[in-house]
Amino acid sequence: MTHISNIPANFKASGVSITGLRKSYGSNEVLKGIDLEVKPGEVVCLIGPSGSGKSTLLRCVNLLEKPNEGKIHVGGFETTDPDVDLDKMRQNVGMVFQQFNLFPHLTVTQNCTVAQTKVLKRPAAQAKEVAQKNLDRVGLGAFGDRYPDELSGGQQQRVAIARALSMDPTLMLFDEPTSALDPETVGEVLAIMRSLAKAGMTMLVVTHEMSFAKEVADRVIFMDGGVVVEEGIAQDVIGNPQQPRTKDFLKRVLDPTHVEIDT
Amino acid sequence: MAMTTRQRARLSKIVQIIIFVGVIVAVLLKVDWKILGSTFFAFDKLGPIFPELITVGLKNTLYYTAISFAFGLVLGLLLALMKMASFAPYRWFATGFIEFFRGIPAILVLITFGYGIPTAFPGTNWPQPVVVMVSLGLVSAAYIAETLRAGLQAVPKGQSEAARSLGMPAWRAMVTIVIPQAFKIVLPPMTNEVILLTKDSSLAFILGASMAQYEMTKFGRDGITSLGAGITPLIVAGALYLVITVPLSLIARKFESRSARTKR
Repeated sequence: MTHISNIPANFKASGVSITGLRKSYGSNEVLKGIDLEVKPGEVVCLIGPSGSGKSTLLRCVNLLEKPNEGKIHVGGFETTDPDVDLDKMRQNVGMVFQQFNLFPHLTVTQNCTVAQTKVLKRPAAQAKEVAQKNLDRVGLGAFGDRYPDELSGGQQQRVAIARALSMDPTLMLFDEPTSALDPETVGEVLAIMRSLAKAGMTMLVVTHEMSFAKEVADRVIFMDGGVVVEEGIAQDVIGNPQQPRTKDFLKRVLDPTHVEIDT
Repeated sequence: MAMTTRQRARLSKIVQIIIFVGVIVAVLLKVDWKILGSTFFAFDKLGPIFPELITVGLKNTLYYTAISFAFGLVLGLLLALMKMASFAPYRWFATGFIEFFRGIPAILVLITFGYGIPTAFPGTNWPQPVVVMVSLGLVSAAYIAETLRAGLQAVPKGQSEAARSLGMPAWRAMVTIVIPQAFKIVLPPMTNEVILLTKDSSLAFILGASMAQYEMTKFGRDGITSLGAGITPLIVAGALYLVITVPLSLIARKFESRSARTKR
């Protein structure tokens, strides 16, 4: 089992508030008016079938995708304001990708220090210290001199989390962080996310890991076809869904060997 | 009588070698070695252009190539970025520039700058090396721009997204994350470009110049008329080009295998 050191609590936290969010690619409307609230310190999981728009929604929060309509507030920033300093906003919002997106030409430590020194202008020694602290936190303190391609998928994703944490974010976005992983390495990544949640990190997580969502999330939001179909306390939405679409989706995900196909 | 597959393969190999060696021997037997020796390999008559062929010619070839490449690299990077810009006129300009300078022979560019500039701007008279370096720089910039653009676009989009997500401005993500990775991708075609440029520097012969500005080919051409050694001076100059380009290839290959180790 992966060793994860004890995590000091008290992250600074900022919430997210989204109203009337719409996003289209050409004539294909992917998000059809989303309202969503994440309170500081809250852990919210976005679930739903592929193509439901949940990843697009997540990517709109830090403006990797530009919304067509609607307002998004993250911490003190209105990210949809054309005059907002996006770089400043993004310094506070950590993002973890499905494909890790570690910088392959930099060592593990450099992956964690490059933005600290170039963006936050921290002195090299301090950046290294912060990187080491966060690599310790994800159980990879001894791997600082390795290159990403020398690590397993699970280890790479843990480095990606440490890289994001090294910026001292007040909000973390996770875009299907375990979907590209070998099954045996999923657990180590989820363990770190669980410990972050316990430590009070504000998290918005797109995931297919229902047991994780049920156990760790404060709230779960089920999306389908670009709209929020159902949302509520995690145990309720996953344990006792009300909407037929939610029920159908959960049945397929939780018991895939007994899905019936209409012929 | 029947042969096994292995016997047949061995026989076929022997026949191939016999034909290959036979052709070479036949050609060598046909050669008139005496005339060849006096027109191609009359090294003893090269005295007058030594050591200048190396101390001036080789030096200038390297010098013209290096400056042209440096100029082409900077301009090429600028053009590559313009070609990927969201502002359409930048793209138009870059596309026009690239198509133009890639499409016409380098020698025409040299002539245009060599004779056109003093005509268009009376009183302006660029020294010949400047004409060479500007002309070749412009031409190589067109090729380099396309190579760099391909290299930059070959870096996965997730890389710049990750960099931007960490709060890096676009230019910083480009400089610190994307360009270093693109560099590894473009190293082989860039080596090609330098080698082409090394040889293109020979086009400087078209412009009049004083001895101190000669590069190797100019020395070779002049040697043909003045030394009475046939084309031996050009043969020697040609060998000197190999002295530049072969080590260049070797160095690039070394770099490649080293970056392959840290590549994902």
